[in-house]
Amino acid sequence: MPRARLLRVQAWPRLTRRGGTLLVVGVLLLVLSLWFDLRDILLLAFVGIAMPLAALAFVALQAPRVAVQRAFEPPVVPAGAWATVRLVVQNRSRRTFDGARWRDTVQAGLAAPAEAILPALGRWEGALPSGDDTVRLEYRLRTPRRGVYAVGPLRIGTADPFGLARIARVVGNAHDLVVTPRVTELDATVGSVASIDGSLHGLQRRTHPNSDELIAREYRYGDPLRRVNWAATARRGELMVREEEQRGDPEARLLVDTTLSGRAAQAQARREPGDPPDLRFELGIEIAASVGVHLLEHGFRLRCDPLHAPASIAGQLGAGEVYRSPGGEHAFLEDLARLETPGRGRAHRDRERDQAAELIAPRSREARMPGIAVLIDPDVVEAHALVALRPTLEPAIAFVTESVSPTVIELLEESDWRIVTVRRPNEIASAWTSAWRDARGGAAQRSGAGRAR
Amino acid sequence: MRAERLPLTRLQSLALSLASFLLLAVATMALGPLITGGGWWWLCAFMAAGTLGTGAALRALRTPPSLIAPLELLAVVVLLTMAFGGSSAFAFVVPTGDTFEVFRGLAEAAQRTIEQQSVPAIPVPALLFALAVGTGLLAIVMDLIVQTFRLPALAAAPALVPIVIPGLLIEAGAELGTVVLTAAAYLLLLRVDVRVRRNAELHNPDVGDDAPTVVAPRRVPIGSTLAASLGLATAGLLAASVLTIATPSVSSSFLLGTAQGTLFARGVSPYVDLGRDLRRPDPVPAFNYLADEGDRPYFTLLTIDRFEGEVWGATERAVDGDNTIERMPRPDGLAADVAGSEHPISIRVEQVRTTWLPVPYPTTSIQGLDGSWFWDDGSLNVRTVDSSTFGQTYEVTRLALDPTPQQLRGAGAPPAALADSLALPDDLPDVIRTTTEQVTAGAASPYDAAVLIQQYLRGPDFTYSVDAPVSEGYDGGGYDVIAEFLEKRAGYCVHFASTMAVMAREVGIPSRISVGYTSGTPSDERIGGTVRVDVDSHDLHAWPELYFQGVGWVQFEPTPGRGTVPSYSRPGAGEESLSGIPLGPSSTPGANGRPEGDPDRNLAGQAGGAASAASEWMRNGTLALVVLLLVTAPALVRSAQRQLRLRRVRGGPRPAGAAWDELVASAVDLGIPADARGTPRALAALVSGRAAFASPDAAAALVDLRDAVERERYGPDTGGDLPPAVARAGTPPAPASPLIDALGRVRSALAADAPPAERARATFLPRSLLAGARGGVGRRAPRDA
Repeated sequence: MPRARLLRVQAWPRLTRRGGTLLVVGVLLLVLSLWFDLRDILLLAFVGIAMPLAALAFVALQAPRVAVQRAFEPPVVPAGAWATVRLVVQNRSRRTFDGARWRDTVQAGLAAPAEAILPALGRWEGALPSGDDTVRLEYRLRTPRRGVYAVGPLRIGTADPFGLARIARVVGNAHDLVVTPRVTELDATVGSVASIDGSLHGLQRRTHPNSDELIAREYRYGDPLRRVNWAATARRGELMVREEEQRGDPEARLLVDTTLSGRAAQAQARREPGDPPDLRFELGIEIAASVGVHLLEHGFRLRCDPLHAPASIAGQLGAGEVYRSPGGEHAFLEDLARLETPGRGRAHRDRERDQAAELIAPRSREARMPGIAVLIDPDVVEAHALVALRPTLEPAIAFVTESVSPTVIELLEESDWRIVTVRRPNEIASAWTSAWRDARGGAAQRSGAGRAR
Repeated sequence: MRAERLPLTRLQSLALSLASFLLLAVATMALGPLITGGGWWWLCAFMAAGTLGTGAALRALRTPPSLIAPLELLAVVVLLTMAFGGSSAFAFVVPTGDTFEVFRGLAEAAQRTIEQQSVPAIPVPALLFALAVGTGLLAIVMDLIVQTFRLPALAAAPALVPIVIPGLLIEAGAELGTVVLTAAAYLLLLRVDVRVRRNAELHNPDVGDDAPTVVAPRRVPIGSTLAASLGLATAGLLAASVLTIATPSVSSSFLLGTAQGTLFARGVSPYVDLGRDLRRPDPVPAFNYLADEGDRPYFTLLTIDRFEGEVWGATERAVDGDNTIERMPRPDGLAADVAGSEHPISIRVEQVRTTWLPVPYPTTSIQGLDGSWFWDDGSLNVRTVDSSTFGQTYEVTRLALDPTPQQLRGAGAPPAALADSLALPDDLPDVIRTTTEQVTAGAASPYDAAVLIQQYLRGPDFTYSVDAPVSEGYDGGGYDVIAEFLEKRAGYCVHFASTMAVMAREVGIPSRISVGYTSGTPSDERIGGTVRVDVDSHDLHAWPELYFQGVGWVQFEPTPGRGTVPSYSRPGAGEESLSGIPLGPSSTPGANGRPEGDPDRNLAGQAGGAASAASEWMRNGTLALVVLLLVTAPALVRSAQRQLRLRRVRGGPRPAGAAWDELVASAVDLGIPADARGTPRALAALVSGRAAFASPDAAAALVDLRDAVERERYGPDTGGDLPPAVARAGTPPAPASPLIDALGRVRSALAADAPPAERARATFLPRSLLAGARGGVGRRAPRDA
């Protein structure tokens, strides 16, 4: 239940065009009537002056109490879609609330509908509500770009009964609307578990150290007795066994270039909230989102790393964040939505650079997993980090945008990264397909060669 | 913002009409102090209701807005026919040619009545006609403002008209109560408009993907908003009233003070003008009359009884609507024992055009006049409020009195009511006093003193001269002039009459001066025992009338060589039983005896020659200005439109669109059949086919413009997705000044191509305005963004 609140005054009360004209005419008439000593016109002049002023006082003193509830439908919207904003405005005052117009304030980048009439609201019905004190407003918001947008507070402009003065007040708070990056449907036949199972046996064989997390299932014929889980049996009242066999929990690694450190000559030191989006960065995010969602949907556990040190990332995409398969894509997309376009000064970055190589360096030489890097504009240091990472990844695919420098591409190609260039969002699906086909071919060759050796 | 003019439902339209009607009806009440009675207001209300009702009905039938005002004008004509057409109209409703003839007569009479009546005016038909026409026109204007242009706040302008008028005419202006009521009606109109506007907007929701859906409560009591409106209105009106009462009177009308009564003239100062007329050559036939042999009365136009200041005039008196000429009163102070006889006189007015009717004093009945005529108390001057003497033919029954000197001698003290007719200023020049004492020394009674004064002025010392006062510099009225005249002893009727009147007052006899005509020159024409007597402008005259209790006002003739000396005023009267000896105008030589004059002009006109010339000049100037304004109005409107568009080009939301609109309008002005609804490319192709666009410069400018508008119309919407800061700073669709430059070049090329006549027409009668007006004042083009 939202709290009933006095509306906050957003700006000083102002005269409408009508009120202003009336005031000016009143002053003119006043001068004329004093000059010619016309008492009757003098009265009209004072009406012309007094009415707008009285109206100003009226709108300033009138304190409407209004409660606002806001909901988004759906709560998380993909970019390029529509979000429906539902508002419930309830009058909490003992008097009818009339003469108001409303407009929802939204952050730059979204377009709220123009100011519109707020229908008259009856007095607050504490008990036995019939709904006459409530108005439901609903509008659709186009969400062209990824990001987190503040929607609200609701702006209510009230005018006096004669339309002479008006005042803008705000009610309620801003709510965040998460616009996730657009996800391109990728070819399901490639990049599935089956297609890369050759690189998964190490993982499958590994047993989980923490038995608490194991799932008990009912005893089936043939299960060895030593696997009876007594605690679970006691709880359930029937014989339960430990499910020790891991599902083939495949893991994939996603490396996202979130810093654009290659931009040496970046003129723009800081980004302002209203700046136009960096299209290459958005493309990179879109690739990452498409690939990540695809992998998560196909049962991969996704380990997502920024190409750079975690501290340098303003968003919540932390280093080594792991998204698990069912439901993980929502968290993943939301984190991507919150990712801010980088645009910091270089000095800031150099300090963090030393940690980067260390963090990205392989920690274990266990199983090799599929690794996918989304490169937008990495510098050479980061490229070297990728090269160093190469042995732990199989296959290793790098989606690069056009802004990646040839030096970096050369470095990666030399270390056997599969480079796929994506120029536009609609190339993502085909790039994915071709990348996997080639990578799989390459991996098969390599494993074949390894076996032959 | 949303488009301003949403279609209204019939009910909403009706509510606005009702509020307009209320405002207009209440505003016309402000004329109350100017007009007697209350019937006129019902007529005004009838006109307003009829006109606005017609408008409302037409809107209910969904008539195109551009047709409503002309149809309302038609309705006004029909209503006027109903009210004034009478039998001339077909079925009382359909006006015929005769009806318009009647209207024309009424309009002319209305002009006269407005000039002639003083406040409060009598609602004669002509005045009612003027009120009805005015109300009808105001109603049309108001309907246009409120409904067609949907700017009810401006409805104050037509409502202000009837409120301002009283202030121009009477000191007090409109009654404050009425003004407060009018303001309240205005606020009601505003309130109705706000409600109507909100409802219209609520029930005409935006269409489109991002248009909000509003689910309003089913019922909302509006009682409490009513209280808010009432409270606010009361507070405002109360504050205004208190402020008005509290504001001291700063100036005493030093600008309009003298202009008071410009519309309703009050009183006339013919006194001085008479002298000016007498010096003019060329007699103009004034009127002729048929009277019995020997019946030669003076004809009074007006009577001057106020001897104050430089210009003496009649007491300012409003016409009393009860004093109709159907019932003429018995003259003041006339006792039954005075011998008198009634003589019928039939008068036909020729060239005199005044509001005062030439009638003998006293008169018992007047018949046969056109128009509304009323008599004044006391003087029995007869005047009109809506007509003139021109061409009138009427019958007068004159009461010829023949008092005996004994009756006059035995007159008692004048009644207190005539104290005004005895008033003299304190600073009366000594020469008047001493001369009066000398002349009237030894008079046994006031009558004898009057006879002595007349005898003294008619004596050999005084000469009649219309030129001497002017050359000596004592022309006109006033006490100083009289003193001067008593020393110079040369003058004309004005001087003699005023001198005698003043001397009589000094003696204690109430006196006044009558201005009019002497009895004229008999012609040879005789009709059934009556003689036709011609009176022309040379017979203009002024003479004193003295009051004797029991006899009333008695005329004297102090001017030597003019008129007739009444028998009772002759020295030694009573001893002989002679009636008046005619010392008619024919007995005086033309050189000095026949005063010249142009009664048309100077008795009727309120202003002197110089003043009237100035006012004429001013009127002509104003007329020329109005005509000039009317002629250049389309050009001015068009120019203003162009400036607005250029401003939009410089800093508006869609600069190229504005520039293109202007280009299309310019093309339409020049007669190029450009359709604003066509695509820019088609229009550009049409325009570039013209000869002037063979030059690469103009063609390039045209292409620039076309590209700019196409980019703006069909290109990515830079204003929508991006925040305004970017749209402004980043990549503006087209920089403004090249647009203006290109527009200027294309326009000059277009103009160069057109023949001069076409160019002139484009300037003074731009076709694009017509096209815009024909487009209707309905719903606007779809709003942008």
